[in-house]
Amino acid sequence: MTRAIALLALLAFVAAFAAPVFAHEEAKRARVPAFALPEPGSYELPAIAHVADFTLQDETGAPAPLLDLAPDQVAIVSFIYTRCSDGRGCPAALAVLQRLDRAIAADATLAARVRIATVSFDPAHDTPAEMALLRRAMVPRSQWRFLTAVSPAAIAPVLSAFGQDALPLVGDGAQALGLYRHVLKVFLVDAQGAVRNVYSSGFLSPELLLVDARTVLQSVSPKLAGAAAR
Amino acid sequence: MRLGRLACILVALTLTSATSRADETCQSPYLPKLVGQEDFVYVWTLGVDGLGDGSDKLVTLGANPKRADYGKVVSSVSVGGRHEAHHGGFTDDRRQLWMGGLDDSLIFVFDVATDPAHPKLVRTLSDFVAKSGGVVGPHTFYALPGRMLIAALSNATDGGGKTALVEYSTQGEYVRTIWMPEGAEYGYDVRVNADLNRMLTSSFTGKNNYMRPLGELMKDAEAMKHFGNTMVVWDYHTRKPLQTLAVPGAPLEIRWALQPRHHYAFTATALTGKLWGVFKQDDGTFAAEDLGPIGDPKSPPLPVDMSLSADDRFLFIASFMDGTVRVFDVSDPHKPVLAHEQVIGKQLNMVSESWDGKRVYFSSSLLANWDKSGADDEQFVRAFDWNGKTLTKRFEVDFNDAKLGRPHIMNFGSEDFYRGKVAATDAAQLARGE
Repeated sequence: MTRAIALLALLAFVAAFAAPVFAHEEAKRARVPAFALPEPGSYELPAIAHVADFTLQDETGAPAPLLDLAPDQVAIVSFIYTRCSDGRGCPAALAVLQRLDRAIAADATLAARVRIATVSFDPAHDTPAEMALLRRAMVPRSQWRFLTAVSPAAIAPVLSAFGQDALPLVGDGAQALGLYRHVLKVFLVDAQGAVRNVYSSGFLSPELLLVDARTVLQSVSPKLAGAAAR
Repeated sequence: MRLGRLACILVALTLTSATSRADETCQSPYLPKLVGQEDFVYVWTLGVDGLGDGSDKLVTLGANPKRADYGKVVSSVSVGGRHEAHHGGFTDDRRQLWMGGLDDSLIFVFDVATDPAHPKLVRTLSDFVAKSGGVVGPHTFYALPGRMLIAALSNATDGGGKTALVEYSTQGEYVRTIWMPEGAEYGYDVRVNADLNRMLTSSFTGKNNYMRPLGELMKDAEAMKHFGNTMVVWDYHTRKPLQTLAVPGAPLEIRWALQPRHHYAFTATALTGKLWGVFKQDDGTFAAEDLGPIGDPKSPPLPVDMSLSADDRFLFIASFMDGTVRVFDVSDPHKPVLAHEQVIGKQLNMVSESWDGKRVYFSSSLLANWDKSGADDEQFVRAFDWNGKTLTKRFEVDFNDAKLGRPHIMNFGSEDFYRGKVAATDAAQLARGE
């Protein structure tokens, strides 16, 4: 599959998930949680793990810190690869992040305090140029960055720190297929590098991510509590 | 669906698709499932003094009829000493298997990904009691994204049934303790239905009872009062208790229905020998319903484990005292119908069903001091085929003859799964995004 076709396929999946009329049951489920959301700050999100601020590459190829957070900010980190052909995997994550991006951009307080990072775990294919194409397609409105690494060896410690698996698939003859087996995960990280929640796609929605982000941010800026109901 | 296809499609898993597709011995819905033929059965085994090395161990059995090691012991890893080996579970990426000891609360972490035929003990977590604030007896190990949710049985203060849920990160670091609510202090199992944002817990008994010889315990009327009679409905996301349900007689294993819009779960009460359903009501609350006896109500058979088929039709219930599995047709979950009944051995504990429902494995040991004695102390793993009507035995490993110990919980492993190997036809489908 050529790079252009792979990206087009990915974007087609994203579009399917983001479309107002859903052909896919999963997309319907992902759009709005089927349960009442809690009030921000009404529950605890203890630190699950701590991650360092690794240096990666941005869409221009320049060195870029993965988190790069001010004390009153949080990051939402998602690992993907652009050749992913599983509609319930990376495309679903990108669709959720795109909706999250719109919601954040519409709220000035959140726009200053929530950063999104989409990170490729397939840097051999997903070059900065490839991530630039993805960025262009996603049309980010908030602080949403598209990062990759200089090599597979450079992304390995990042994946290990976050606990993100990504196993290259091989065919019967042990030939590389350019595909990965991976559990879809999205991470909420605070300014101290503490992972405060991890989401899998069945429990991944922009609304839930925002409630959790507000919960974490409240400990820094209590005034965010008032923004909860919006 | 072939195992290779699982590689990308199920592992990039969504909760909804996972719960609608498979049970595979009732694993966490967050866990990648083995949907094809399993190569191995990992058996967490209690050591027996004077038998082999006498230590608890993880035993790997060959389970694929196409392999030369089918029905044989492939490997065995002793952890040293006896810890009351009991339950365990995979991490969220299925690369590690965490196994607990109910006596000293040690947690043994095995790497099953590097060489699935020969799991390796890579870490022992010895801080469970201290870090959790005195929780004892790690029982259910339930993978959540990035962490392990552990339902415990007891506490270090009095060895009674007051206990908690404890979370660790997948990397093995303590996260938090959530004590069971007042009026429902006992614990046993925990299972999540993320579609509903609901979590269910059940209740058993404390260390004072589960480490005591069963015959002696049953004669102690006061001690027998100290068993759980409740289930708790929780808000999963916030981990807050919402409802306490009266389910008398020690409700043990919990199985949520797997199909979409099947908003109910099953449990069985050990002491009263009954099957119970927990059903979501129109107002969003849950209600527990007595669904009737398992076996002869005059002589409750001590139901201890259950497995629900992926289509929510068959519920396998294993009972310890009569060594019998009873298969209920639960197509109408309010009116279970006994579809099959078969004696598996002189004592019986765990039942684990393959994803496709075609293979069912049984193990014999309940607790070191509760297992039968003499000739009744059979210790085995027996594998059967299930055709929807009958169970046909395929192989057996006698754990006494093999000097291994007492086999308890079983989990499935696969070579191709950890190699990322995909069959050619499946690779073509994956490339097309099918």
